[in-house]
Amino acid sequence: MKSILKLFLFVMVVFMLGGCATTGPKFTEFAPSISNMAPDTGRIYIYRPSSLGAAVRPDVKLNGEVIGEAISYGFFYVDRTPGNYEIMTSTEVSRKLSMTLDKGQTRYVRLNISIGFFVGHVYPELVEDEEGKKEIEDCRYIGQKK
Amino acid sequence: MKKAVYFLIICFLGILLNACAFDLFHIEQIPTQIKSTNLSKPSFELEKEVNFVLDKGFTRKLKQGTKWNYVGTVSYGDVFRSKDQILTVEASNIHEAYIVVSGGKLVGFYLPVERSYSPLGDSQILYMKEINQ
Repeated sequence: MKSILKLFLFVMVVFMLGGCATTGPKFTEFAPSISNMAPDTGRIYIYRPSSLGAAVRPDVKLNGEVIGEAISYGFFYVDRTPGNYEIMTSTEVSRKLSMTLDKGQTRYVRLNISIGFFVGHVYPELVEDEEGKKEIEDCRYIGQKK
Repeated sequence: MKKAVYFLIICFLGILLNACAFDLFHIEQIPTQIKSTNLSKPSFELEKEVNFVLDKGFTRKLKQGTKWNYVGTVSYGDVFRSKDQILTVEASNIHEAYIVVSGGKLVGFYLPVERSYSPLGDSQILYMKEINQ
């Protein structure tokens, strides 16, 4: 009986870890294939450089439009025309980041996790370019959500 | 026994309500209009780092050596923005912010997306050196 229980637990752990694993090329491998942004746009990289609360993976919205998922060690990017933007994630509460985007500008948005009541809260934070460039290297490309 | 159950229910509700507080604190925002005057104010470089605490307890820093360029004026002071560092103000949500300077002091923030002014409780002296940009 005990061995069956152990096997069950092992299978469950493998299954859970499998569910959390992020597939896709690492940023360093993928970067050469990223096209230059159009001259009249700016680029926003969104990434989550931590495995904390990996099972919590809310949608990421940009001005209300779903553009991706907050997946541990995953990243994606969007090109947009210059202007004002709001990036939002929702779990048991919604957390927002408001920011501007200039022409030709690249911005880095890190998805952090904080303690919640039932589930963790994923929240977007605008970070310095140098910090973003360094942290995103450990992440894998997960693509935008269509 | 019944009392114990009531007590537990009250405790549970208390915790639930407390959890709701996650989404209940916001920074003070006063809608404002930014005006760009013909007389541009000179850009400046910060000679000294400035550390301060936002009204909701988050700390922020204006880095030494960062250059700040005039964006416009609000009724609370002159608005400056820097390309050398990112500045945000934070409560439950995070907002990109420019600094508002009046009388040589940092008095608050202009939130470009919300088009509002957020005052800083304790204004901070800025050690500024005028630069040509």
